[in-house]
Amino acid sequence: MKQVSPPLLQLQGISKSFGPLLALKDVNLTIQHREIHGLLGGNGAGKTTLMNVLFGLYKPNAGQVILRGQTIHIQSPRDAIHHGIGMVHQHFLQVPHFTVVQNIVLGSRLHNRPTLNLTRATERIQDLCQRFGLEADPNAHIIDLPMGVRQRVEILKALYRGVDVLILDEPTTNLTPQEVDSLFESLQRMVAEGMSVVFITHKLREVMQVCDTISVLRAGEHQLTLPRTQVSEELIVRTMVGSDIDLDESILFAATAPQESSSSRTGPPVLDVQGLTLTAESNTPQVDDVSLQVHAGEIVGIAGVAGNGQQELLEAVLGIRTADRGQIRFQNEELGHCSTRDRLRRGIAYVPEDRVQDGILPTATIAQNSILGVHDRPPYSQHGILKWPIITQHAQHLIAEYHIQTQGAGQQAGNLSGGNLQRLILARALAQPIQLLILHNPTSGLDIPTVEQIYRQIRQRRQEGLAVLLVSDDLDELMLLSDRIAVLYRGALVGHLQQKDFDKYEIGRMMSGVYNHV
Amino acid sequence: MQNSQFVQFASLVMLAIVPYILASQGTMLAGQTGLFIVSQEGVMLVGASVGFLGAFLSGSLLIGLLLAALSGAIAGLALAYFTTTLKLDQFVIGLAIFFLGLGLSNLFFKLVVGVTLQPPIIPTLKAVPIPLLSQIPILGPILFRQNLMVYFSILLSLFLIYFLYYTSWGLSLRAVGENPKAADSVGVPVARSRYITAIVAGMLMALAGAYLPMVYTGSYTDGIVNGRGWLAIALTFLGGWSPHLIFVGSLFFAGVEILALRAQVLGVGLPYQFLRMIPYLATIFVMLLTYKRLRTPAFLGLNYDRESRTSI
Ligand SMILES: Nc1ncnc2c1ncn2[C@@H]1O[C@H](COP(=O)(O)OP(=O)(O)O)[C@@H](O)[C@H]1O
Ligand SMILES: [Mg+2]
Repeated sequence: MKQVSPPLLQLQGISKSFGPLLALKDVNLTIQHREIHGLLGGNGAGKTTLMNVLFGLYKPNAGQVILRGQTIHIQSPRDAIHHGIGMVHQHFLQVPHFTVVQNIVLGSRLHNRPTLNLTRATERIQDLCQRFGLEADPNAHIIDLPMGVRQRVEILKALYRGVDVLILDEPTTNLTPQEVDSLFESLQRMVAEGMSVVFITHKLREVMQVCDTISVLRAGEHQLTLPRTQVSEELIVRTMVGSDIDLDESILFAATAPQESSSSRTGPPVLDVQGLTLTAESNTPQVDDVSLQVHAGEIVGIAGVAGNGQQELLEAVLGIRTADRGQIRFQNEELGHCSTRDRLRRGIAYVPEDRVQDGILPTATIAQNSILGVHDRPPYSQHGILKWPIITQHAQHLIAEYHIQTQGAGQQAGNLSGGNLQRLILARALAQPIQLLILHNPTSGLDIPTVEQIYRQIRQRRQEGLAVLLVSDDLDELMLLSDRIAVLYRGALVGHLQQKDFDKYEIGRMMSGVYNHV
Repeated sequence: MQNSQFVQFASLVMLAIVPYILASQGTMLAGQTGLFIVSQEGVMLVGASVGFLGAFLSGSLLIGLLLAALSGAIAGLALAYFTTTLKLDQFVIGLAIFFLGLGLSNLFFKLVVGVTLQPPIIPTLKAVPIPLLSQIPILGPILFRQNLMVYFSILLSLFLIYFLYYTSWGLSLRAVGENPKAADSVGVPVARSRYITAIVAGMLMALAGAYLPMVYTGSYTDGIVNGRGWLAIALTFLGGWSPHLIFVGSLFFAGVEILALRAQVLGVGLPYQFLRMIPYLATIFVMLLTYKRLRTPAFLGLNYDRESRTSI
């Protein structure tokens, strides 16, 4: 009889619920030796939850984990690490005020616990950097490092512990295309050295580029696992979205590039920003001499690695922060010291990045939230008295038009899921007569049908003549929607591309501050 | 004699430094794991009461101190249980323990001593001069002719500096207060770290309280702690949650306390209440100047729940 060696890792019948929500339903997944296993699924499919179960962060309701043919019990990350399982979380788990080497050795067995002499650890880290092509200065403080390097530190942390399986949860979110490529190279080196990698993503192209095996999760259920050579993009997409959307009509999965916009861009711009500068307390500009125009009927995208001044720029445009220098003109009128409220009144709508914190009043009802900002004006209120029948009717109308899934306008807005919340916020913004729509990461963390719907809305409004300023960390999204893209790096606009010149590597170079294009 | 007056003043300051150091270093230590304690005043009162009664009944100051430490450990354990295990609000539980301590300290005293005309007295802590070192001019009498608790609090501060910044245990503890999820994800035991620091902090605070009746009068009164517990919180913030600066700050607070007493005795024009106000004013003043640079542990006061998404 031939002895078949068992697969490296098997997850069997994993179920996990959060209160009433069943996030994983009887999921099976097998990871072979020496493979890059792509775990694909739309947002909310349960990818992170599944891996958090494997890593001991979440306790499953049912199911077991089998490592090299033997059932193991993982109660905590400590156990997972002990069994050779490492995980790089989507939100980096680092101590910003510690150095790289301190973050890496944290919690590991040190030979010299009472002296904390890190020379030997530092040498080992430098060796790992070399071996896997992951550049990082061991003595730098995390807080001073850009996202791409922090990502590498997270990987080094796992490698330092000598893992056999490395789980990476959406590792490409904050990377430039160049950094993505070099990450993939590092992953291939790891596999060459005998490790296995689980690569979580919601981006199809990435798994097709690098994975040996692909598994798809949808709505907490395992759909398929196949070698890459046996799948087509179309099959994967269909499995990811199920019957929820019509692929032929899809914007997100469109096979062809978007058609040139019809905007003529004549006449004065709707938004005209000149030399806007905002200086932080430490005297380094957060927004550095930014000039920017957005015309009616066009979508202007702002690319950049998160944290390069996106939030500050938008807040300055909206008057939430006061700029030190520069001019902002809206429809030919200088906004000057106009209050935020006035700016919104004049026809600017803002969809903030942090939906719950900045977008709604979580304990107020959907109806109340649906009129925020216009609540003191007719027809919603007269002489300071709110007109509830009209407000409720308005909210019900938005719920129907934007397919917001809820039991009614009287429900608390804070209980809406991410996708429904974003629908509400967008509905509120578009319900009023506006000339400029400002969006910040409008689809981050949203499920595929919602993303489709939001893209559709944005495109349609552009066609109707709305000016749109779209700030996003997601380069694919920007290239899909924008007519022009400007790149923000350390608070300054360092490059500017027309749609016909869009090239993700070119934009990636600008995002990392390497630019010669003006 | 200028010199001998200074020496006398400085050695009084060293006597007064003990409760500030013990209570604030305890507060700081728990803060390093993210536990924000506000029950100092109450735990110090219990420590004072238990320490005094223990010493009174047993006739031994050491037994008094040990019993006080035990009472503080129980307070710390309770705080850790309610906040770390039951995940109740740290501030609310801290206040509850303060009020409980306020009541219990009185109750213990009444139960054991009852109402008497002649208050019970215990012996005070004796100075234990260190051979040779105590012979050094000026420094000798200030630093090396003190009671054991003064030595203990100086050594404790030195030890904490070493422990927190030069050992891997210290690194792990600080990581828990900076980012518990990060610590958890690399196998640092978050709950255990918080339990340990809460218990040690409680013991230090109770010792700070027990020291008070043992150092000056040998008697116990209701107002014996006199706000020092609240000052310890201010001092910890002022010291940026670092053991070095807390030590320096303790010197300052103790110095002001002694000056205030002096002024009262000498009858300087300034009212005593005004002098007692100085530490609080100084705290506000220094904070205004430095609040941007003073760091507190990032997760100070926040409970950690592994499965919750908000504690990223
Ligand atoms: N800690 C948590 N508490 C409550 N619900 C959660 C938690 N983590 C995930 N969920 C829910 O479980 C589902 C799956 O989420 P997740 O695993 O994060 O999806 P993915 O990583 O595939 O985007 C979602 O509906 C999400 O809202
Ligand atoms: Mg996820």
